[in-house]
Amino acid sequence: MTEGRARVLVVDDEPAILRTLRTNLHGHGFDVETAENVRDALAEYDRARPDVVLLDLGLPDDDGLVLIRDIRGRAPTPIIVVSARDDDRDKVNALDLGADDYLTKPFSVDELLARIRVALRHVARPPVGTDAVFEAGDLRVDLGRREVKVGDRGVRLTPTEYDVLKALIANPDRVLTFSMLLRRVWGPGYTTEGHYLHVYIARLRKKLEADPQAPRWIVSEPGVGYRLRTDGPRPGSTP
Amino acid sequence: MLYLVAVLASATAFGRGPAIVASIAAFVAFDWSFVEPLHQFTVADPQQYVSLLLFLLVAAVTSQLAAEQRARTAQALDREREAVILADIAGLSAAADLRASLVAAAARIQQELDVAAVGILLRGQPPVIAPFSADVERLFRGASSAPANALSPGTAASATAAGRTGRWVRVVSPLPRDERLRRRVHSVAIDAGGAPAGSLIVLRRTGTAPFRATEDRLLAATAAQVGLAEDRARLRDEATESEVLRRSDQLKTALLGAVSHELRTPLASIMASAGSLRQKDVTWSDAERDQFHESIEQEVKRLDRLVGELLDLSRIDAGHLVLQRQYHALDALVDDVLGRLRHTTEAHRIRVDVPEDLPPVSVDYLRIDQVLSNLLENAVRYAPPGTLIEIAGRVENGALRIEVTDEGPGVAGEDRERVFAPFHRLERGDRGPVKGAGLGLAIARRLVEAHGGRIWVEAGPGRGARFVVTLPLEAAEVPR
Repeated sequence: MTEGRARVLVVDDEPAILRTLRTNLHGHGFDVETAENVRDALAEYDRARPDVVLLDLGLPDDDGLVLIRDIRGRAPTPIIVVSARDDDRDKVNALDLGADDYLTKPFSVDELLARIRVALRHVARPPVGTDAVFEAGDLRVDLGRREVKVGDRGVRLTPTEYDVLKALIANPDRVLTFSMLLRRVWGPGYTTEGHYLHVYIARLRKKLEADPQAPRWIVSEPGVGYRLRTDGPRPGSTP
Repeated sequence: MLYLVAVLASATAFGRGPAIVASIAAFVAFDWSFVEPLHQFTVADPQQYVSLLLFLLVAAVTSQLAAEQRARTAQALDREREAVILADIAGLSAAADLRASLVAAAARIQQELDVAAVGILLRGQPPVIAPFSADVERLFRGASSAPANALSPGTAASATAAGRTGRWVRVVSPLPRDERLRRRVHSVAIDAGGAPAGSLIVLRRTGTAPFRATEDRLLAATAAQVGLAEDRARLRDEATESEVLRRSDQLKTALLGAVSHELRTPLASIMASAGSLRQKDVTWSDAERDQFHESIEQEVKRLDRLVGELLDLSRIDAGHLVLQRQYHALDALVDDVLGRLRHTTEAHRIRVDVPEDLPPVSVDYLRIDQVLSNLLENAVRYAPPGTLIEIAGRVENGALRIEVTDEGPGVAGEDRERVFAPFHRLERGDRGPVKGAGLGLAIARRLVEAHGGRIWVEAGPGRGARFVVTLPLEAAEVPR
């Protein structure tokens, strides 16, 4: 595998899932550490310094959200929440606290592996600077010259549309909650003005996407936020 | 002066009539004894007439005033009594149990008015009659439904029975034709929530005077109170019902949330294991393959058990649980449970203190087996290996008392009720999380209560928990 020996910390209170994930991730070339509660997880995190954390929210001694906050207080290690809770509020809470991704149980192991790879790539990639050029498929954004192109076609964006796109580009493949995007583009006073965001996302899709109804780049995470996808549509889904 | 005192006294004591008689007598006696010529009714001096007349007038006015005062006092006493009775009845009708308060109100009215019988007939409720008699019930039912055909001719047949119940039930002939009986029956309509709800009916004793305004007022006020009580009870019932619905809705939502979580967790393991087996990019070793297969198998069993427990729970809550009761000996039942669970309990020390001579108890064998198994599995789950688990049985207060005591972490006071709620699981300190959906005790409680018994948890002698089950011993039904 290309990941080398990246280290994954799996935090879950279900022995069966721990056993399965340990075997599977090990088979895919990861070093695997496990913990069954928040206290052990934090100790294990400090000891092993994992490259990515898989976290269940319903832990016996405390809420997994506490662990997100504690890890974020230490380092920007990617955290993928893997939980049976599928309430949008839980997802938004986890993401707002700094989790990078959210997978609902039951999940496919292929999907989990894909998300782990995205998270690791995200860490490996240097932060997008003001003079960088962002490219994904035929989408090209020159951040220095504020130029946006789809293939050879130049796209004219209003300043706000450009700011929304820039916020998404700064966190490729990561779910950004509505409130995160609103705060970054409009400021802290606008975190509940979700309709602003919907309007600008719709305009961006119209200008960038081949089919705005089935977006390829700017995908919705219903009830949670938006994600800029860099790898195009996944196999099996219609573009 | 002495005569005046006599007139006054008779006025206050006996009322206006006697006072006037007394004043005339006093006038005559005065005339006879003191007015010239003495010992004659003739009056010599016409001036004496004036004083005599004045005398009569004073007597009449005094007596009149005294009589009025007396009447007013009597009225005030009546009012006071009325107020006291009404306050009592209002107090009674505010009580939680409508029927009990109606019975008390009817008894009170019957006693206060000194009548033969009082009935409160409310729609949709069995009639309340004080004192009860079948004939009065018939009479009152007739009076409340339609006075025109109040009693069926069948009343005659009950004449002999009626004779036994008391003098006032000599209602041999059908009511409508018995004018005298009909005149003794007073009926006041009861309104509840603005609609007619029934009647308050009173049967006067024979030979008593018709009701005065006081009694009529009292009856009307009582009827109003009963109407209010009925209204209150109906509202209370409706409120209770909607509260029950709201709670059961809440419970269902909580249950659904917990169920989806409990179902998804094993599903996640199954899906991850199955997905791993399907992956072609890794060549799994035999041990790894076995491990994935084993995970799938284990988690499928867990799901199956969860589904079974959920079905049990919903079946019991929907009232579909039918107990197959038979008499069983507790010691044999305990032996069976221990035999079946010997692999589960092998890491613990088990002590059984169930005498063989305990009376047999009427239970659904499989259900009580399920309860004891749950308690035993629970003890095994929470108490560290090597510790003692004790099962004891004895008779106490007419019930069979079964105790399962462990040396685990125990159940804190605030959790002792909560552990019986569905999906509630306790931490067991440093020994990691406990597996199981948290339905075992919820089911156990329902099963025990279906047997008319109780189940609770208390502190064991050490720091462990003691689960206690009591099952009623119905002595009369024990086969001899």
